[in-house]
Amino acid sequence: MLFKIAWRNIWRNRTRSLVVIASVAVGLFAGMFMMAFFAGMAKQEIDSTVETQLSHLQFHNPLFIDDKDVNYPIYKGPAIIDRLKKDNNVKAVSGRIITTGMISSSSTASGVEIHGIVPADEKAVSSISQDMVEGAYFTGAKKNEIVIGKKLSEKLGVKLHNKIVLTFQSKTGDLTAGSFRIAGIFRSRNSSFDETTVFTRFDDLAGILGTGNDIHEIAVILKDGQKVEQVTKMYQKEYPSLLVQTWKELSPQMALLTGIMDQVMYIVIGIILLALMFGIINTMLMAVLERQREFGMLMAIGMDKPRVFFMILLESVMLTCAGIPAGILFTIITVGSLSRHGIDMSAFSQALSQFGFSNIIYPDLQRSTFLPVTLMTAFTAVLSAIYPAIKALRFKPAEAIHKI
Amino acid sequence: MSKIIESHNLSKVYNPDTIPVCAVDGVNLAVDEGEFTALVGPSGSGKTTLLNLIGGLDYPTGGEVKIDGVDITHISENKLIDFRLRNIGFVFQAYNLIPVLTASENVEFVMLLQKKSKREREQRAEELLIEVGLKDKLNKRPSELSGGQQQRVAVARALASKPRFILADEPTANLDSKSTENLLEIMAKLNKEDKMTFIFSTHDQRVIDKARRVVTLVDGKIVSDTKQ
Repeated sequence: MLFKIAWRNIWRNRTRSLVVIASVAVGLFAGMFMMAFFAGMAKQEIDSTVETQLSHLQFHNPLFIDDKDVNYPIYKGPAIIDRLKKDNNVKAVSGRIITTGMISSSSTASGVEIHGIVPADEKAVSSISQDMVEGAYFTGAKKNEIVIGKKLSEKLGVKLHNKIVLTFQSKTGDLTAGSFRIAGIFRSRNSSFDETTVFTRFDDLAGILGTGNDIHEIAVILKDGQKVEQVTKMYQKEYPSLLVQTWKELSPQMALLTGIMDQVMYIVIGIILLALMFGIINTMLMAVLERQREFGMLMAIGMDKPRVFFMILLESVMLTCAGIPAGILFTIITVGSLSRHGIDMSAFSQALSQFGFSNIIYPDLQRSTFLPVTLMTAFTAVLSAIYPAIKALRFKPAEAIHKI
Repeated sequence: MSKIIESHNLSKVYNPDTIPVCAVDGVNLAVDEGEFTALVGPSGSGKTTLLNLIGGLDYPTGGEVKIDGVDITHISENKLIDFRLRNIGFVFQAYNLIPVLTASENVEFVMLLQKKSKREREQRAEELLIEVGLKDKLNKRPSELSGGQQQRVAVARALASKPRFILADEPTANLDSKSTENLLEIMAKLNKEDKMTFIFSTHDQRVIDKARRVVTLVDGKIVSDTKQ
């Protein structure tokens, strides 16, 4: 009968109950939306970084990784590439030569990392070819073509087809330079990457560096990104003299980002639920104070305090139980739609771009988020009812009965 | 007749630390089983306070109350709730039914607290409501009943727990003449036939006329105690 009383009680003031139900639904939606938003943001950032810079895993000479000295190539690099291409787990492989140097226009110069790539292979491991805003990604047959980022082009004050000069140290340690013509300009989601990375053909760069067939970096994209740890471990065993690293190891800040995102997400959800808690406390307190005489009567005729406490908690739980499905449904509809169409964050494009985030965020609603957010919301609602319930227990029957 | 209620030098002072108000002042009262007693007196004379103290709804500041020999002034609040549930029936001036329950469910509720079986609850609730003349109102909620009918449900509820006595605080104050007459008949019948002890506070002369014992309070003190 307590369930019956609690259920009927919540419908005594329909508007107030609907406000609480709506609060729970909105709180749940807000929590889920934030989780989906941050998860989408992090996923896009990881995907973007994996696609443009890191790939799933990379091979290096351990000595190369510290100061990018061209004298530390991957031993038997071309053979390893052939081996990787035969692996069923591997979707694409690209061998690169990498050096650091200066890029100069007629007006200014800037420090850059120069990637010598085989365009056909690189296209399969990197999305830069799809980020071209001017020109093309090494389609011509001309020698010494270069593809640079939009931000770098603006910094150097150069345009498509302009000539620039790359200056770097050759394999023999001599300072050497090459003149390159801008064949294409790209704009990725990460403006700092665009400003500091340039691409040339493998043979053009190797010719000036004098590195022959040396390869400094092998980038690998797997068919299933979830297997990255497993595949990396396998190749670490197979090539113990090489440094085989996952994208998480290559970019610890990226792994950290996902961790921080999780923390930020829970803090934001905590704040939302805290606001929800005060809303429910307020409403439940009103409901309890309004029924002071009734609680006085219940205690007078013999309803003990645990039962009174339980009944108020039950009312809160019932309101929550009504709000949770509504919140989940609303979340599925709205976040489901937003995850397809994206949320346009163009107003913050500059700031987002600096951190490598896209202008359009696609919330990523994962099934695993439903349970924790639902439990957190339910816990909040129950917690919110405790104070009003304690308040009710403090009523003195003799006084409460005569309250109007 | 055995004594159900005994109070010795019973006092209740409100606001003892600020502006003390002595609502009940050294009351000695004994009520025998089967009595039909009215507490009368002007407003502020301490009738309701005395009923609250006898009913264990409040603790006195002095003296003691014994129900069937059990001193209820020195037992814990939780034990007192249970004591009330098993020994005392209440009828309030403003009916105080649970608005979301039907008449039958209101009567059953007390038995639910006593952990009686569903069958027993339903059967007794029906019997009691028939006894107070509400056979056709079993499934009506309080909002669908008149004041008199609600008070009759309250009487049935008070009887449901098979209490040792019933305390009624101004039970007819909100009722019209006909409803008052009706309620008094029911209470008198229960007293006569079932030997149910009633103690009620009242201003109403018709109620006073029905009482077999009239205790008059003035300024928290008993100034007369007559049997009629």
